[in-house]
Amino acid sequence: MSTSRTLAELSEESGIPARTVRFYIARGLLEGPAKAGRAAVYSAEHLERLQKIKELQAKGRMLAEIAFELDGGPAPEQTAASPWWQHVIEDDVQVWVRGDVRPWRMKQIRAAVDHFASRLREPESGKARRNRK
Amino acid sequence: MSTAPSFMPLEATARKALNLSMQRLWLTGQVLPAGARLVVQHVFRCQEDKALEVIYSFPLPRDAALRRFRIAGEGFEAHSELKETEAAVKAYEEGIARGSLSALARQYADGIVNLTVGNVQPKETVTVHLEILCGVELKDDGFRFRFPFTLAPAYHSRARAAVTVSGEGEIELPTDEFADMILPSFHKDASTLHQVGFELSIVSQLSLDEIGSPSHAVRVRQDGGCSARVTLAAEKDVPNRDLVLDTRFKSVEPQVLAGRDRNGKVPFAAIVPSSSFGAATEGPRRVVFLLDRSASMRGEPLSQARRAIEACLGVLSATDSFGLVAFDDEVLAFQPALVAGTRESREKGHDFLTQVDARGGTQLTRGLLEAAELFGDEGGDIFILTDGQVFGTETILAQARSAGIRLHCLGIGSASQDRFLALLARETGGVSRFVTPRERVDLAAVDLFASVSRPVASGLKAGANIHPEPPGFVFSGTPVLVFGEAGQTGENQIELSWHGGGLKLPVESGESEIGETVWLLQGCRLIADWESRYPSSEAAAKLEKRKQSRVAARLLELSQSYGLASREMSLVAVLTRPSDRPGELPETRVVPVGMAQDVAVEAYFKNQTITDMAPAMFACLDASMSFGTMGTPSAGSFIRRHLSRKPRAESPAGPPRASETTEDILLDLASRMDSDGGMPGKNRAARASATALVLLAFLSQGHTPIRGAFRSHVARLVSFLLALTGLSDHQQQIVNAVIELAHKGTAPAGEWIALASASGNHWKEIESGVLRAQASARR
Repeated sequence: MSTSRTLAELSEESGIPARTVRFYIARGLLEGPAKAGRAAVYSAEHLERLQKIKELQAKGRMLAEIAFELDGGPAPEQTAASPWWQHVIEDDVQVWVRGDVRPWRMKQIRAAVDHFASRLREPESGKARRNRK
Repeated sequence: MSTAPSFMPLEATARKALNLSMQRLWLTGQVLPAGARLVVQHVFRCQEDKALEVIYSFPLPRDAALRRFRIAGEGFEAHSELKETEAAVKAYEEGIARGSLSALARQYADGIVNLTVGNVQPKETVTVHLEILCGVELKDDGFRFRFPFTLAPAYHSRARAAVTVSGEGEIELPTDEFADMILPSFHKDASTLHQVGFELSIVSQLSLDEIGSPSHAVRVRQDGGCSARVTLAAEKDVPNRDLVLDTRFKSVEPQVLAGRDRNGKVPFAAIVPSSSFGAATEGPRRVVFLLDRSASMRGEPLSQARRAIEACLGVLSATDSFGLVAFDDEVLAFQPALVAGTRESREKGHDFLTQVDARGGTQLTRGLLEAAELFGDEGGDIFILTDGQVFGTETILAQARSAGIRLHCLGIGSASQDRFLALLARETGGVSRFVTPRERVDLAAVDLFASVSRPVASGLKAGANIHPEPPGFVFSGTPVLVFGEAGQTGENQIELSWHGGGLKLPVESGESEIGETVWLLQGCRLIADWESRYPSSEAAAKLEKRKQSRVAARLLELSQSYGLASREMSLVAVLTRPSDRPGELPETRVVPVGMAQDVAVEAYFKNQTITDMAPAMFACLDASMSFGTMGTPSAGSFIRRHLSRKPRAESPAGPPRASETTEDILLDLASRMDSDGGMPGKNRAARASATALVLLAFLSQGHTPIRGAFRSHVARLVSFLLALTGLSDHQQQIVNAVIELAHKGTAPAGEWIALASASGNHWKEIESGVLRAQASARR
């Protein structure tokens, strides 16, 4: 019996829907197929791994726990991935703003950045030119 | 070269763009008093260097079904097909294997839908226009439309939940019950997620009085007649709460929406206000108040619910009987059987309620069964106050039906289980209402209790052209909605009969589009009813086993007849393009949603955080965390009166706050009423004075014996005064004048609220008020 199988075959053998298998791959619970494109195949290890995931789920484990239990888990993140917003003002100027500030604060910051941006785009005034000379 | 300023989300550490696989969700369509016909635009974009499979999960609104979708992008467009779920999944998977753009809309248990779009190519934008039909919450004088922009976490005894360090909550449900349904992750900060918004038209047969929203800031353009357009006032919003729109009519009259179809038939929907059926019947009440005290009710909702129950108890007489049950994952009953509504019992009930605090999960079934047992062999009504945040609702519905008790539900929440609670009430013959956390739960509860404590009609029957059968009982304030078809057998009227009465309404054909919409809404209603009837074992069974079920067979038939999806039939589209790359595995992305606004995160995640396995990966959310704020709700005056002063998340848990507003004082007065309907006092004269004063206080705020949330209380106060004897002639004259004012539904100007809450004898003030009213009437 061949040990390689398509995703549809893997799904049928394991009893896990193909969409769920892809979800597990995206979550890092399962390796992707051995080859890419039309030649993509899954091995007996894939099947074995899926059976193990099913078993652990039946015991009430969450997917993140299962990943940790099977592989020691992904490396913990160094810091929380709090979002930042990038405001590109000119080619040579960018402003970074924390994305999780309160809406009123964000509004205030955006107004300030807009003001800053408009100042930077103003044509140089005569006084500024004289000072430079 | 100058670059236009642009904001884009980035990760703090890597400074990489935070790619949103779904960028926008926009709701459009038409809302009628019988239901809504909507198109929801979902804009998906692949900003990665490989093809994506994007999964968006959402709950269906009440009485809803998916009709079809159109998937479109640059230079392509495809339309969905309705197939048996197994065949739809197969078609979708084959499309994915061929590398084709494929989309599947599949409904699971609890009305949760997974919209999956696979093989979205790098840098490609794909829009899915999904047509949904759904019901609305009807009242005699208007309706409430509710659409979920997020999916709230909910309780299930076998669910596992955790929070990652980045603040995302994750819930996984048992696969033996929920198959391959995928839930989103819950983000405490919804501001970095996809944009949401709406542009809706509201059309009615009656002139529209007022339109408002307790959930969003809206812009309303009314044409002064029967239609209006409602849009989000801001450019966009965040997905952390339902959209709630309230519409009030200028008059209370029956409405018949109908239109001729291609076959010459005239599908119709009729909305018959409860006032068409007569007045409430008399008789002792038998009621159990069932209070959800799960952790998700913590804070203002629970304290308001407690106060509401106390106020409802105030309307009971000694011939009425009541029970109190509080539940989380344990059940706590006030007494093992119903007790008479005497002052002493109600005071003990008050003591019981003060001990009820928020904790644990939501084991609604256990609470329901315990409450049902209190009735013994006789019937009665259960009045539930809950946020209804539970998974596995089909099992609860099956058990509620078997209990044979009428359930009335007051749901509380910013992201609702409106579908479930509406079904729970309807399937047991009751009424449901849903309020947002920004509204006053206590007033809504008192109002609902006034409506449901005694029906205005029973034994309601409809003509043969009406399907499904109408409810057996009609309650004041809630109209009867019936669907049917005219024109086929010459029956061009709607016929309703009930014990002691009957009515006929003509069906006049309008636009054919209206006819099609009401016909589809009828299909939605039938599908929703049948979906709630899966026996629990069948609901959890795999597809191939469910096929043998009677319920599944009926659902299949309904889906095919009406062209609507259900759990048995799904929508699928596959688009073959020259660029398809067979065998390419798309990367799965699950679209996150915002944590339901005003819901305490720790209610679902704190006790279930996995700390023993991987402490570095999981962390418990801080109970004091703040939540995203929302735009100021733009409610009309009728809605504004019922809004809380502040959002729930900012309200700390604790004892009920002291009486501060007029409504707080009225609630306090209502809860102090004696079982004979009067206010307490040391003798007849003192009781008469206190009762007349409280009556004036209620009247001054627009509550009359037939109108306002406190109408039952006002009616009881009037009855007490009418029955009172032994007063002096002078006092009796004053009392008679106050009763007359109550019947007119007016009160003279005066500081009645302040006087009613102050102690002492106030005959003088009452007399002077009455004289002013009489003088004014003579003028």
